[in-house]
Formats: sequence, structure tokens, C-alpha cells
Amino acid sequence: MADTLPGPFTRLRGRLTPTRILGVPIVWLFVAFNVLVGLWMLLSSVKSASEIFTSPWRLPHELHWDNYQRAWTQGQFGQAAGNTLVVVAGTALGTLALGAPAAYALSRITTRWNSGFTMFFALGLGVPAQVVMLPLYVVMNDLHLVDSLFGLIVVYIATSLPFTTFFLTGFFGTLPVELEEAAALDGASPFRTFWQVMLPLARGGLVTALILNVIQHWGETVFALIFIQSTGHQTLSLALLGFLQQMQYNGADWGGLFAGVALVVLPVLACYVWLGRRIIEGMTVGSVK
Amino acid sequence: MTAVLDGRSRTRRAARPAPARQASPLAARRRRLFWPLLVPALLVYGVFFAGPSLFTVWLSLNKWAGAGPMSFVGLRNYQRLWSDPTFHSAFGNTLWIIFGVGGLTFLVSFGLTMVLRDMAGRKAARAILFFPNIISSVVLAILWGFLFQQGGLVDSILGATGWHHPPNWLGQGDLFRVIMIGLVWTSTGFYTTILMAAVDQIPPDLYEDCELAGANAFQKFRYVTLPLMWDVVGVCAVLWTISAVKVFEFIYAFAGAAGQMPDTGVWNTALYTYGEAFASGGVPRYGSAAASAVVMVALVGLLVALIRRVMRRDAVQF
Repeated sequence: MADTLPGPFTRLRGRLTPTRILGVPIVWLFVAFNVLVGLWMLLSSVKSASEIFTSPWRLPHELHWDNYQRAWTQGQFGQAAGNTLVVVAGTALGTLALGAPAAYALSRITTRWNSGFTMFFALGLGVPAQVVMLPLYVVMNDLHLVDSLFGLIVVYIATSLPFTTFFLTGFFGTLPVELEEAAALDGASPFRTFWQVMLPLARGGLVTALILNVIQHWGETVFALIFIQSTGHQTLSLALLGFLQQMQYNGADWGGLFAGVALVVLPVLACYVWLGRRIIEGMTVGSVK
Repeated sequence: MTAVLDGRSRTRRAARPAPARQASPLAARRRRLFWPLLVPALLVYGVFFAGPSLFTVWLSLNKWAGAGPMSFVGLRNYQRLWSDPTFHSAFGNTLWIIFGVGGLTFLVSFGLTMVLRDMAGRKAARAILFFPNIISSVVLAILWGFLFQQGGLVDSILGATGWHHPPNWLGQGDLFRVIMIGLVWTSTGFYTTILMAAVDQIPPDLYEDCELAGANAFQKFRYVTLPLMWDVVGVCAVLWTISAVKVFEFIYAFAGAAGQMPDTGVWNTALYTYGEAFASGGVPRYGSAAASAVVMVALVGLLVALIRRVMRRDAVQF
């Protein structure tokens, strides 16, 4: 992805075009809007409720860390964060454990079934949650997996297999064939070739798939809403919805709400600052060429 | 990224074994591994995703309240949708999201792409614009709703510019419009990123030629950029169609903050399906919920087929 590098001369001349004069400020305005919304969210999370409304742009008089404390205990964000960690970790590892071998088989072992099954997995990308939810609810109910974290993990794994398989099929395809042949000549069994040669080589793709999966499920709402019923099992997005609901009865605790929002956003933000380019490229991969 | 993708298509071609090699003992041994590696994923995907999806089609032809026997009613569920004014407005809202929000998102994304092409600090700008994409829609809905509250930030900014009596943004009349603009806000970054990656592949000397020929920005866009990224635009259109029909959390959390379903006026088909199945107060209507879900998927299928037909043309080599 080479930067377009117009020379100093073209850059100077380009500065006079209307696209520049109008466009650049608009872009930065848009960017500034996003940054301001983020900052405002963080500031509000340490303000008192009245300050949030009366002086939205000013720094807080004193830092109300008790907002976080209330969200963590009364809002049950603490428990929800624990549940979410379990679900997200289980989902990501489970999806890779199933998806990576399938993607390897589909991309590196030629049989007459490959294109059919690749297509079968890819079709899942276009199916909205609402199409699966009714019969899936019945199935899960029969298996006593409704309102259980394990059940939610199973649902998440099944619904993320299309993307993960699609993503990893592409990735395994980029690895050189020669290494597989060399491993086979050295006497490695096909499974050992997969396990000890190809999987380590695909580490970059596997890690990207893992990160994308974690980010996607950190704030997932639709399936959680359907399959989790008790507050003891709720995930972060459900805790947030529940907090909104509580405010109807206990009065508006905006400081606590923003603290809760920050608890949901900050881990993702940290992850994004650390691995941003990888996340962006992973999510948009395959769209260009 | 491009290098990786180019490499993929190259090695994939190379990876196809010649017919002679297929008979080799090595290939045969490897093929024995195919099913053991594939079956676990296939099983989970089939039982918990593909199977239930297909069953929904059958369910849509039956009357069922979630328990007890199902009774076959043919197309009566679809007739019910056809005559239900709530479904009409939900379907209309879904079309508004696909075409209205989609059109505006693409317009803004194209504009941003053109400006970002040779702007200083483009990587940072792109990263910040992309960020809403990885945030939970519930959070985005809460923040967006708070901005538009009466006496909220939007009103105070408008007040500063002299508009002292702004409408109630979250009232019935404007609510869906505010939702649609919020959707544009959250989705623009994603498509801008994809379009930017496509524009980066266009050789810069083509633009230099244009400038020598005295082309203005619009002409450059019309005669260089658009033709050379046509295929990517097609991919984006497909991706948008799929994700537009899936829009659910943003509306649910934005308008239904009290933990109940929002007003039916802002429902789209995704909310309608959910409402019929889980939140309709009395008896859940699984049959018509399933029918509505089938309509959703049929809409995606139809539009994707249409997009592929419209966008089809010979690839431009460059």
C-alpha cells in the first residue's frame, strides 16, 4: 500500500484546488467530531450528573471516580466484564480450533468438494441473525443451553465460522507449496505437516482472525439479548442496556452510565491503539482485488 | 495488504496440482486428511447455523406459537405480512436504510477518499474515522442519542449559531432521520478505508497526466478514479446491502432505551422479526416472524444478484 507521493511542486499546486480548500477542513471536522465525542464520553464518566448537563465542555471540578465504582457494582458491570471475558475467549479459541483446520482443508487439499463447501461457508456471511434465531432458540432450549455462557459461546462460534473460514482460506492460500512438499519428503505425515509446519507459518493470519473475533464479540448484542436471560449471565452490552433500564426507576445516573460506556469502550480502544493497522486491514481484506 | 492479496491469487494458481500429481501417493494421503479437518467445523456450522436457517424457511409456511404442534398454513404468514401496516413501514424503513443511508454513506466516503488521497496525516485521519466500526452499536446509539437530547450538545451548538428553538430531534417525526444520519456516521469509516485501499492502487502518474490536461477534480474522479475502482465499488455495494439489512442494535438501543421495543414507527424488518418472535406481549408469532426473516434474506439475495448484474463489465487493466 504505497503512499501516493506527489512531489513538492504538485503538492504546492494542488493546494489551490477547490477539493483541498473545501475538502481538507471538512475531513478534519469529521475527525474532530469523533475525537470530541470520545473525549466528551471520558470527561462525562468522571463528572457529577448535573455537571454533565450544565457544563458539557468544561473539565470536571473534581474527579468522580465513584461513577466507576457504582457502575462496577450496582450496574453489575464487574460481573458482566467477567462473563464477557469468558465468552469472548471461549468463542475466539473455539472458532480458531474449528475454523483453521477447515480452512486448511478447503484451501490446501484438493478434492472435488472444495468449491462447494467454500461456497457453503461463504453463504453464511449474508444471513442475518434474525433468520437463524427462531429454530436455533428451539435447538438450544432442547439442549438446555439457553441462558448459559457455554450456550452463547456455541452460538457465537457457529455464527463466526463463515467469516473466519473465508478469511483463513485466503490466508492459507498465500503460503508457499514448497514447504509442504519439503515436509512430506522429510517424512512428515500430512497431519504433522499441517500441525507443525503450516499452522506456525499461518500465525499472522490466525492472530488477526483472533483479534477480529474478540472485537466483534466484545459488544455483540443480538444473540446475547436472545440467549441470555438472567442478570448473572449477562455480557457487557446487556449490562449497558440493563443500566439504561434501571435509570427509568432509580433516577438518571448519567455519570454511572458514561462510566459503564467507558468500561465497554476503553479495552477496545486500547486494543485499537496497539493493533490498529492489523484490525483495519483484517476487516477490509479481500475487498480490494 | 495489496502485496499479500496479489500473492494469494498467484500462489493459489500454483497450488492447484497438475492432474498427474493427483494420483501420487502423497496427494492421496493428504486427501485422507480432508474430512477429519473439515467435519468438526461443518458439524457446528450445520447444526447451529445453516440448519436452523433452512428450517426458518419451512417454519414460515407454518403456524406455530413456540410450543405444541405446528400446523401447515401455506403462504398465509406472507399474506399476513402483506396486509400488516407495521410490516409495511418496517420494510419501507429497511429500504430507506439500504438506499438512503447507503447513498449518503457512499457519497461521503467517495468525498473523503478523494480528499484523503494526498492529504497530510491521512493515516491518522483514516484510523480515527474507522474507529466507530469496532465499537458496540449499543454504545454508539447511547452517545448519538445523548447528543440529540433536548438541551443536549446539538441543541447547544445550534443555539450558539442562532437557532434557538430546534425541533425535538427524538420526537416521532425526526427520530428515524436522526437514526439514519447516525448510521451514516458509523459506517462511513469502513467504506472510506476500502475505497482508499483501491485508490492507492491507481498509479499516480495517471493523475499527473490529468492535471497536465487541465482536468478538474470532478473530471479526474469521473474518468480515472471511478473506472479503475469499479470492481471495489461493487464489492462495497454488496457488503453494504448485507450489513444494512442486519441493522438492529443501533435502532433498538437508540429508540428503545427503556429496555423495551422502540416505537413501531422506527422498526426495520430486523426489529419486526425480533418483535414478532420475542416481544409481542401475547403469544409469540413464530410463523410470521419466520416469514419476515425469509423476506429479509430474499431481499439481500435479490439486491446482491442485481448489483452483480449492474456492475458487471470488463475489468480495466492498469
